[in-house]
Amino acid sequence: MTAWTAPYRARVAAWTAPLGSAGVAALAVVVWQVVSGMTFVVPAPAATVQALVRDLADTSFQHDLAVTCVAAFWAFVIGAMTGAVLGLALGSSRRARLVFEPLVVALNGVPKIVLYPLLLPLLHLGMGSKIALGVLFAMFPVLINVATGVRAIPSVYWSLAKSLNAGRAQTLLHVTLPAIRRPVLTGLRLAVSLALVGVVLAEFFATKRGLGRVVLQSYTAGDYPDMMATILLLVLVSFVLSLALWRLERSIR
Amino acid sequence: MTTNTGVATRRTGKAPKPTPGRWRRTGDGARSAVATAVLIVLCTAMLETGSRLELWTSATLPPPSEVLPAAGALLGTGQFWRDAARSGVEIGTSISFGLLAGLGLGVVFWKLPIAGRIFEPYLIAFYSVPLVLFYPMMIVLVGLNIWSVIILASIMAAIPMTLNTWVGLSGVPAVYMRLARSITCTRTQTLFCVALPAAAPFVFAGARLATAYALIGAIAMEFTTAQAGLGYRIRYLYESFDTVHMYAYVAIVLGVSILLTAVLEIVERVLFARRVR
Repeated sequence: MTAWTAPYRARVAAWTAPLGSAGVAALAVVVWQVVSGMTFVVPAPAATVQALVRDLADTSFQHDLAVTCVAAFWAFVIGAMTGAVLGLALGSSRRARLVFEPLVVALNGVPKIVLYPLLLPLLHLGMGSKIALGVLFAMFPVLINVATGVRAIPSVYWSLAKSLNAGRAQTLLHVTLPAIRRPVLTGLRLAVSLALVGVVLAEFFATKRGLGRVVLQSYTAGDYPDMMATILLLVLVSFVLSLALWRLERSIR
Repeated sequence: MTTNTGVATRRTGKAPKPTPGRWRRTGDGARSAVATAVLIVLCTAMLETGSRLELWTSATLPPPSEVLPAAGALLGTGQFWRDAARSGVEIGTSISFGLLAGLGLGVVFWKLPIAGRIFEPYLIAFYSVPLVLFYPMMIVLVGLNIWSVIILASIMAAIPMTLNTWVGLSGVPAVYMRLARSITCTRTQTLFCVALPAAAPFVFAGARLATAYALIGAIAMEFTTAQAGLGYRIRYLYESFDTVHMYAYVAIVLGVSILLTAVLEIVERVLFARRVR
């Protein structure tokens, strides 16, 4: 009896959680539908999806989408690389940690958006300033996770590397990186959505193109289905990317 | 430093290891403090020199010798305190809501693991800021007032608090729970006298993250659109080309948030150093 129940239960449990999560999403859509019937400012789910389909076919919107995607991509790449390099430096040197760690932790807790007026004149209104804000947003989780990860590596790993006469590059590639792959992935997962948010927030502020601009314009024009559709697109993209990276993170335990 | 952004996942939940050598750490702390002060002074000096040498115009980035006195003068104005009060109320309310909701949800998810697993993907995906993107929608829904900021900032604060409480409680050794049962603790006693104190390092780290997220979220939302608040004032001054006062506000916001982070960090170290001993 028990021999049969245990795997059966496990299989049921494995399905309950994803089904439940989907149920939560479905419930959210139902609530959204009900609320949209009560107030005219909230577009109905169907109207929002229609607006999204129409927008995605529109060349001007496609251009905005491309601009935001490219900016977010570079913000992520540059932010993650900078974060990784600084994190490695901070994690492997005791002195660097003593000197820089408090400031890094403090800067992480700062609302980086207030630095945007400083970035604008340096990099002008276009791509540069957007990417820079995205980099500021995306860099810190990678930096802190890499630094913490490197510090948590058991010292016997270093002894082993030394006893095998591994060079610096070899140690980095074959010891450090594999040992910190989990915290690195956590950092990258956070960095993806942060890069996107940073870029879109910069576009809320001042820019010529981009989805942030679209959201703000449709807000000003009172075109709520378009606004909702764009917000939803952005949130969905960051949602899917985060979840995919989270799954990956769990699978490589 | 608990991972400031990457909360431990449920599966890796272990209590932070006690670090030996309290004396050495105290010396290190002093050294760090001195180094940080030197770094801040150095940065200020660089900004001042760059401005004096006219590497950039004063309209772009005025020298600290103009900004800092302006920031000091701001502290005597009613306008500043009105904005600060608005932001303070928003942030304070969001932190309280976020902490309460996060603690409650964390406990529920610990007691009812299936509920936890159902909501886990949402907590993970909305962890760290994407919620800010809902702000325009929130303005449309509840109006351009204090509540649109508070609602979103509370959710942003509640997420790390929930995850950390949950991770912390799940990591409490089973023997603690058995002990509580053997001395016939009630459920409330078990929760408040055994489980939560055992999970305290995680819960506190969650509270620290919640504070940071409420602050970051509220200021960012004010910056986007609002009628008052420190974030709003920075944007307003930017748009009216009053750079000196804008940077004075930026300096104050940076100063306050750095101070807040530092205080929470120190409180955490003091609290849990005592526990370890």
